[in-house]
Amino acid sequence: MTVHETKLCLSLLALASEHLERSGGSRIVALRVRVGELSGVVPEALASAFPICAERTAAAGAELTLEPVPGRELELQEMEVI
Amino acid sequence: MCGTCGCGQPGEPRLHHHDHEVEARRVVVERSLLEDNDRRSEALKKRLAARGIEAVGLVGGPGAGKTALLEATFAALGPAVAGQAVVEGDCATDHDARRVEACGARVAQVVTGSLCHLDAHLVEHALEDLDLDGVERLWIENVGNLVCPAPFACGETRRAVLVSVTEGDDKPEKYPAVFADADLLVVSKLDLLPHVDFDLERCLAGARRARPDLPALALSARTGEGIDAWLAWLGAERS
Ligand SMILES: Nc1nc2c(ncn2[C@@H]2O[C@H](COP(=O)(O)OP(=O)(O)OP(=O)(O)O)[C@@H](O)[C@H]2O)c(=O)[nH]1
Ligand SMILES: [Mg+2]
Ligand SMILES: [Zn+2]
Repeated sequence: MTVHETKLCLSLLALASEHLERSGGSRIVALRVRVGELSGVVPEALASAFPICAERTAAAGAELTLEPVPGRELELQEMEVI
Repeated sequence: MCGTCGCGQPGEPRLHHHDHEVEARRVVVERSLLEDNDRRSEALKKRLAARGIEAVGLVGGPGAGKTALLEATFAALGPAVAGQAVVEGDCATDHDARRVEACGARVAQVVTGSLCHLDAHLVEHALEDLDLDGVERLWIENVGNLVCPAPFACGETRRAVLVSVTEGDDKPEKYPAVFADADLLVVSKLDLLPHVDFDLERCLAGARRARPDLPALALSARTGEGIDAWLAWLGAERS
């Protein structure tokens, strides 16, 4: 796991927790992220960094789905909360 | 529809974690992970533009010739080097900062440690150490890396990506992301072309897959070949 993916995971978790709060939920059980093939992000690296970064957060144990898409986007599409 | 418990509508894309005590709710977010960096980069750009400073980013693999290009550019600019400032990003050492300082440019070194790219936040902090009075151009030399700097704008107005002929002409095809956001492809170390199998057209074609209208030029920091075209792209004049 590199610092690069760790930083992106922290951005992901920050965004996710902001929207969790807004939704009135207490826990995130799943997230779907669109990863553009030109985003400069290696999906495997993000996938392996995520569980460690998510420990002790509201997204601990959540399932991360990385959807490869064309283009440059790197976007938290949706999540499931309870 | 979830294959485990049968919840959800058939055909509806469904993430499969459920807490069966409580029904999970879907929350649509649709926001970029790069938002924070993009916001900082735009703010930085504005701040620099308000002072009449253009910021030029240099990106390329380790040893592609970024610092050598700065040295050649500063030599060509003559006394105008006094209006050039550089943010140098490296994992370790201040070697590059010393090199551009020796040319007469102002410099701030960012030592990134294990971080493989600069980002807008790091550049903001670097500028705290840099006196920008009288500066007309700020150079941002990213950490030597052809992959990781791609999605992280650093406040630059324009970004040039270097590929040296010794790296091989297939690099843009292999590492397309950084070319999608580039404003110029610089093929560097042109003096070494006779010694390597490097097809300029193939390199250009690869980069233009990522960005079809990408401008390109080839140069040698060693011999000075192509430096005039580079200065023209910059909008700078040889002294
Ligand atoms: N022959 C030749 N050598 C060059 C040229 N440009 C750079 N080099 C050599 O390539 C090596 C790397 O050059 P640098 O300018 O340090 O490359 P860099 O991209 O700044 O490297 P990092 O910052 O470490 O990623 C040095 O040994 C340079 O002398 C060139 O135009 N021709
Ligand atoms: Mg350098
Ligand atoms: Zn990286």
